[in-house]
Amino acid sequence: MSAHVLAQAVVIGVITGAGYGLVALGLVLVHKSSGVFNFAQGEFGTVAVYTLYRVHDRIGVPLVPAIAVGLVASVAMALATERVVVRRLFDAPRVTLLVATAGVALLAISLELWLGEARLRFIQPALGRLDRFSLFGVQVSDQRILILVALLGLAVLLGLFFSRTNLGLAILAVSQEPVATELMGISVRRLSSFIWGLAGLLAGVAGMLAAGDAKSFGPGFMTFGALIPGFTAAVLGGMNSLPGAFVGGVVVGVAQSLAVSSSAFKAIPGPGAVMVFVLLVVVLTLRPQGLLGKA
Amino acid sequence: MNGHRQRPGPAGWAARGALLAALAGLVLVVPAGRGNVEVHVFTQAAIYAVIGLSLNILLGYTGQISLGHQAFVGIGAFTAAYMVSRAGQPFLAGIVMAMVVGGLQALVLGVVSLRVTGLYFALVTLAYGTMAEESLFNIQSLTGGSAGQPAPKPAGFSTDLRYYYLCLAFLAAVIWVDWRLMRTKGGRALLAVRENPKVAATNGVDVKVYTLMAFVVAGVFAGLGGALLAHNDTFVVRDLFDFQLALVFVIMTVVGGLRNRTGVVLGSAFFSLVGYFFDKLFSGGLHVPGLKVLPKEYVPIVIGPVLLLYTLTRHPGGVGQQIRPLQRWLRGGRFSFKDTHERDVRVTDARA
Repeated sequence: MSAHVLAQAVVIGVITGAGYGLVALGLVLVHKSSGVFNFAQGEFGTVAVYTLYRVHDRIGVPLVPAIAVGLVASVAMALATERVVVRRLFDAPRVTLLVATAGVALLAISLELWLGEARLRFIQPALGRLDRFSLFGVQVSDQRILILVALLGLAVLLGLFFSRTNLGLAILAVSQEPVATELMGISVRRLSSFIWGLAGLLAGVAGMLAAGDAKSFGPGFMTFGALIPGFTAAVLGGMNSLPGAFVGGVVVGVAQSLAVSSSAFKAIPGPGAVMVFVLLVVVLTLRPQGLLGKA
Repeated sequence: MNGHRQRPGPAGWAARGALLAALAGLVLVVPAGRGNVEVHVFTQAAIYAVIGLSLNILLGYTGQISLGHQAFVGIGAFTAAYMVSRAGQPFLAGIVMAMVVGGLQALVLGVVSLRVTGLYFALVTLAYGTMAEESLFNIQSLTGGSAGQPAPKPAGFSTDLRYYYLCLAFLAAVIWVDWRLMRTKGGRALLAVRENPKVAATNGVDVKVYTLMAFVVAGVFAGLGGALLAHNDTFVVRDLFDFQLALVFVIMTVVGGLRNRTGVVLGSAFFSLVGYFFDKLFSGGLHVPGLKVLPKEYVPIVIGPVLLLYTLTRHPGGVGQQIRPLQRWLRGGRFSFKDTHERDVRVTDARA
């Protein structure tokens, strides 16, 4: 692999991986606060993309308000999932909740298939120019620069939110000691809605950025494209660390991108999926507490 | 129970016998008068029941879940097809090999995922299923790539109807093995683990070992299901085994009712048959005013999640819970809806 191909793979990997990191953040937030593996996290994002497509490409609403509508849709779906499914099963075993969120994901995919048909839709990236920026000698499209800027901005905002606001601190408290937090007079159930809404928002942003990068999407876009890398990223972060999840996302993205472009994997079909699976197995076997997690 | 239970009289036993005979007739005789296409669909229902029982072991007994069961089943199918059409082995050798491979996969994935407390088997199997779909099933020399791999019906069972009876026999064997296994020391240990993992561990039950054993049995059943599916279709194509199928497998098991074999068999058969009979009822699709036509291949994945969420939030015991009064009556008890809810079963996790 030449240095240029390597640099290209790394740059692309970091950018896709940051998207996985966003999905992973949502997964970790929900897992920390309610112990649920949320398999609907990917579909929250796909719903945002479908809504954006309907509102912008079909009805013709300008991009910025259309993005807002799309994000509202993903947050609404997350809140509805929390209210209709998760809250009803609050006392049920965690595996019941896992099955239920997988059911929500399949419901979304089946509606997309039924109403939106099993075909790919092609979209224009928000920014079209390809040749303006270069990182380490690799040309990076404006869309990818936008992704990078959006992700960095979001990471900073989340960092401030969790360290400076009462709500952010309350969420951290709930995820560490739910009972003690309840005793301090913080409503765990109300926070639960908020956390799901936040997870929906993160998934919506990740979905829109990924669709703009892929230039096409179809039913189950984020579930098939980002959920498993997202979970692997979360496991890399030990399933309990927010920065760990984000870093894990970047690691998964780079590993996947290297596998896809490396000549060593040419003989294997689907090298990206193989790499993600291998990574998950290796982490669970060698370092089950995660890269940044505490033992 | 208050000491002496009232037993039914001769007429009562006759009524029960008549109902059982009618049910047996429905399963054994009705398909005999049907065309090959329908027999093929009924056979698939029997095979789905095997797969449902495999998932029932995971979800019902260990409280873990596989989201990659389409890969377990698919690899079983491709193994059987490879053994028969590439390696020139007889039908039974293919079946046995598919079961061995199925058990081994489950063992390896189980060892990895039980390193951490929690439902990591779900994550590992999900990633495994996607890898199988995108990579393993595309290896030309093993699966025939996009062309697929032929898997002819075995000698002596070459008609659809005979093969249907063969699959029913395999289903009966799986039910029997499952029933006997749950009565061994391992089965009782699993029940104890489900009730309370900490108490079970204190009493010397090695939770990990018994959970792994259950994984292996589930993998063996899934491999068998795959092999039977391969010979039913006489051709294995990779596109059959997608992620949606894995979710349909989970849904049919939960809606059927965990830990109730009859319920699981009914649920699996329902989800296997629903697409075909939906298409017959509404040939041309269901027209809901204002909505698009629902094609038959989407029927299970559209109604499945709705039924699943309804089952989980309202009737956690699924179909199995609803038919329990009837099951009690057939065993010679009274027909009553009493205490159907006391024995409410839930998806219980042993390790999370």
